[in-house]
Amino acid sequence: MRVTLVAYGGLAAAISLHRPPAVVDSASLAAGPAGELSRLVDAAISADAHRPAGSDSGSAGSGSGRDVVGYTITVQRAGTSSVLKGSDTDASPAFAALLAWLQAHT
Amino acid sequence: MARNRRRLNCITPPYILRRLVDSDDAEVRQAALSTLLATAQLRGEREIRGSFTGLGAAPVDGRRSIFDCATGTVLQRATLARSESDAPVTDKSVDRAYDGLGVIRDFYRDVFARNSIDDRGMRMHGYVHRGVRYNNAFWDGQEMVFGDGDGRIFTDFTGSLDVIGHELTHGVTEFSAGLEYHGQSGALNESLSDAFGSMAKQWYLRQAAADADWLIGPDVFTPGIDADALRSMKAPGTAYDNKIFGRDPQPAHMDKYVQLPDTDEGDNGGVHINSGIPNKAFYLVATKIGGNSWESAGHIWYESLRASQAQAQFQDFADTSYRKAAELYGEGGTAQLAVLHAWSEVGIQITGVTTGPDAPETPIGALSRQIEALATQVQAIAADVRELKAKS
Repeated sequence: MRVTLVAYGGLAAAISLHRPPAVVDSASLAAGPAGELSRLVDAAISADAHRPAGSDSGSAGSGSGRDVVGYTITVQRAGTSSVLKGSDTDASPAFAALLAWLQAHT
Repeated sequence: MARNRRRLNCITPPYILRRLVDSDDAEVRQAALSTLLATAQLRGEREIRGSFTGLGAAPVDGRRSIFDCATGTVLQRATLARSESDAPVTDKSVDRAYDGLGVIRDFYRDVFARNSIDDRGMRMHGYVHRGVRYNNAFWDGQEMVFGDGDGRIFTDFTGSLDVIGHELTHGVTEFSAGLEYHGQSGALNESLSDAFGSMAKQWYLRQAAADADWLIGPDVFTPGIDADALRSMKAPGTAYDNKIFGRDPQPAHMDKYVQLPDTDEGDNGGVHINSGIPNKAFYLVATKIGGNSWESAGHIWYESLRASQAQAQFQDFADTSYRKAAELYGEGGTAQLAVLHAWSEVGIQITGVTTGPDAPETPIGALSRQIEALATQVQAIAADVRELKAKS
């Protein structure tokens, strides 16, 4: 499983545009962290699937938030790809947990 | 023949009138008060209540509360760390946020007679220590949130007064023009936060426009990072150029306007990129007028913000600032000409006004020419008198 995190926007948005995405390949992790990542990914995908229809899926530019950072997490496994989105002001607890794990491990 | 009479500085700027209301001289006080009232009544465009809020405001308006997120990201779980009038605490981030919000609140009150973020005394809530190694500060629509930085590239975001001013001004914009956060209106929104953030810092330092650094976030980087700041209003595109960040992409002219997708990934059409253009325009206005940025230039920008629509484009804001310069400081005066030339230098021509050698002469220009001609005549007469005296 390959998980990619892209962050954009924020007070330093111009700098973010130049920064490469953070990538984690579960094949390079020990069994414990790999299993933890897998559980967090499953929970975030499940939470995303249960978002109310028509919600903006964590848009950083929506609402009255300014300089908010937006995040796109792309999960590639078993030939499928899932894209999850969130922001500093709009993220499910499951998305926030996955984001925090990725930020701590990249 | 009808005489074309034009106004020349016949309106005393409101901020001066408001200062005069505090004068020790009762006659001066009364005259200033009468003028303020008459101006509001005649124009019908200024709320007299708004002009007086700063004077009559209780010191508790804009009360500050600083909350400690303790590395969490759910603001509701943060704990109150310091409230208005509380003594300093041991946490430097808490105290910097508290003091910084106080400076920005006082700046808006003393300079623009604005009573807090919403001009109605709104409470100011700041959240510090948000997240783990969080590299950002933002306005969430109600409050300001500051990260500690990762300690590797970024440091604590409460360390830059202009950053605190930037975030608080997002609130001011939200409660006034409500500029939409994408494309040019979004870049104006960003630029106004930079302009008032920088102005507030200059005001705090009592620093003239010519002496200021005009940098946004010069203190957010760790010492090892080769960058001056996040942005430079004086020279957009020059704040940094290093291997980690690349080169500062901000343009300083419409010729270099950066087209980006109106998506989150595209910074909503480059709101943090193209803000370099109005940023440069404001820097030019302030330095062309001279003195302190928060005086004439600041008042022109503040009144333009208040008069703008949510969808305002650069051209709209430029035209509004040109009109406001005339209303505040006189048609064809130094301030209005500074606005005209500043926008022209960044590639925006004021609607209906020609600049360059074929431009029609302004009243000030005509007056200057007449004075120059008179001075020449006086010098010639003086020379004649000297010659006659020498002969007699």
